[in-house]
Amino acid sequence: MSKITHRVIPTIAAGCFAALTFASTSAVAANGDTLKAVQDRGSLLCSGHNGSFPPFVQVTDDNKWSGYDIDYCRALATAVLGSDEKLKVVPISWAQRFPSLQSGDIDVVIKATGWTMGRDTELGIQFSVPYFVGATNVMMPKELGSTSPETLEGGSLCANAGTSTERLAANFFKSRGIEIEMITFEKSEETRDAYFAGRCDSLVGWGPNLAVTRQSAENPDDHAMMDVALALEPESAAMRQGDDNWVDIVNWMFAATWIAEANGITSANVDEHKANPADSTVEKLLGVTPGIGERLGLSDDWAYNVIKQVGNSAEIFDRNIGAESVYKLDRGLNALWSDGGVIVPMILD
Amino acid sequence: MANTPTTLPPTIPLTHTIKQNLFSSPFNTLVTLLTAAFFITITYKFVDWAFISSIWSTEDEPLCKEATGACWSVIDARHRIIFFGLFPYEEHWRSTLACVVMIATIIASCVPWFWSTAKLSTLWLLGFCTFYILMHGGLFGLSVITPERWGGLALTIFIFAAVSIIGMPLSIVLALGRRSKLPVIARLFGLFIDFFRSLPLLTILFTAAVITPFLLPGWLQGDKLYRVIAGFAIFFACYQAENIRAGLQAIPPGQDEAGLTLGLSYMQRVTRIQLPQAFRNSLPAIVNQFVITFKETSIVTIVGFFEILASGSAAFGTGKWTVYYIEVYVFIAAIYFIFVFSLSRYGAYLERKLRVGHG
Repeated sequence: MSKITHRVIPTIAAGCFAALTFASTSAVAANGDTLKAVQDRGSLLCSGHNGSFPPFVQVTDDNKWSGYDIDYCRALATAVLGSDEKLKVVPISWAQRFPSLQSGDIDVVIKATGWTMGRDTELGIQFSVPYFVGATNVMMPKELGSTSPETLEGGSLCANAGTSTERLAANFFKSRGIEIEMITFEKSEETRDAYFAGRCDSLVGWGPNLAVTRQSAENPDDHAMMDVALALEPESAAMRQGDDNWVDIVNWMFAATWIAEANGITSANVDEHKANPADSTVEKLLGVTPGIGERLGLSDDWAYNVIKQVGNSAEIFDRNIGAESVYKLDRGLNALWSDGGVIVPMILD
Repeated sequence: MANTPTTLPPTIPLTHTIKQNLFSSPFNTLVTLLTAAFFITITYKFVDWAFISSIWSTEDEPLCKEATGACWSVIDARHRIIFFGLFPYEEHWRSTLACVVMIATIIASCVPWFWSTAKLSTLWLLGFCTFYILMHGGLFGLSVITPERWGGLALTIFIFAAVSIIGMPLSIVLALGRRSKLPVIARLFGLFIDFFRSLPLLTILFTAAVITPFLLPGWLQGDKLYRVIAGFAIFFACYQAENIRAGLQAIPPGQDEAGLTLGLSYMQRVTRIQLPQAFRNSLPAIVNQFVITFKETSIVTIVGFFEILASGSAAFGTGKWTVYYIEVYVFIAAIYFIFVFSLSRYGAYLERKLRVGHG
């Protein structure tokens, strides 16, 4: 994802990391360290944001954190400590997320973070399975009639100057032999205003950001996304290298919300399912037959608690990004594979 | 008191002054009219945008999309985020009270009556303790609220006050140290000052927030907020020390030597002769540094603090409010203006006051 606003900061962060490589041998966590630290402390320290990044991290009218990523922080706190009251969200900037993780300021980064090789290998970070895929896409007015890339032949495209989305869009249209004029702007507010003022026929951006932009339009229904995505980025949770048990816990926390959705278990009906499990997977998930907790070092009802208090993956999506939110973003690729998405729950045996 | 006959200059009528200065030639008249037209248009546009065509209440938000003016609904709905950041909703009275206490402390310490070491230190000790107890809680039945939930205006003011109160004495020590007659001391202080002055504030804050936990033992780390304040205060002190040193160097050496011949001790010469004059000499620069520091507090957002600017971006960064960022920025600019303008007017007042008997 392109966060153009903080181009200076990564440089400083990189410098800090150079300094850190001397000390970083001690920064590698040992297996089981994080869980023990979280349990001893009695609270989970999860990444927030310095401001807001809708719809992943934002602040409600009554000064509380909310959002898609925050809900997964809540789910993790519930899984490990039994209640989302035990979650402490630490406000951190983009540049700070990995150094803060290394220094133990936070236990996990769940913050729209793309899984890249550099981060995975050089920064001493381990990633969870992707819990969200963000598509770079193009928004255009519905009145153009069609949402195929060919519709834009001879038209123009607004983009943020010098970002990866700009490059992606240029390559995408070039490779399809579609002539398009790129109009670039330094600030994302300018780019957005230019599109709405009709200076260009379309607007390229990262999916969720585009959805937020669309929702701010005078009439959101006048705008539609192109039917082909330009690129996909897998977003994963990031953890300190070396603590396999903690990585397992985060992975299975995500999996629990997916398995629950696949079996139709929601926060509303989880008690019925626990009383009358349909099959052995549900029995294991909800802790009717023991095993799901012990193997991770948690209690057997952790997944039940997560579903009861936070909900399954569909509920989390709808509440923050989808139909029940103001953004009304289509689930699209973030649906389970059985609904045409790319999310594949692991097997609970 | 002497009854010397005075001839008053003849009073010039206002109309004449205006004519003389603004309409003396056709070209001048044209320039005056064009400038006036320009400013009237700008003012009218702003007043129209901000007050006449604007929408004021949260309930009227649906009208905002058609309105040509500002949509202050965003402030109505989200001002609590701008003022309090992530501070728990039910406890906002504590943050408000803490803010008032801190501002009162700052104002009180500007009053000359408080200007003695004993009074000032009592005042600030009281002010800080009250602020801390109100914000942090844990005493008198107040619930504990840890600094990662502090935010908004209260945090901005706290950082500014803490940096000033730690940085100011430190800057005096640094300035005197750099002018020490012992070469080793003078060199070391000089090196210290120049080292921190040659680093960007951003790097210092990043180091304080993120790197020091790797270097310091656990018991010495403290909360991230205090590490950042310490780093900021050192940065502030190094700049302020140079302002004070400039003031010190403007004092003729004869004064200090005169004090020496009278048998005054070092402390007496510094506190009675050098510092009062140094402050007076470099007052504009000193006030300037305070103004800069107040505005630079917004940089702490980069290490994840919810100061007022970050709170502002959180205020418009949700759902229907994302388009109304201009209103939020204008609102925050007004808050900054109130503080910085008062600060610089106070500086001007001090200059007038200290000029008494000064040629």
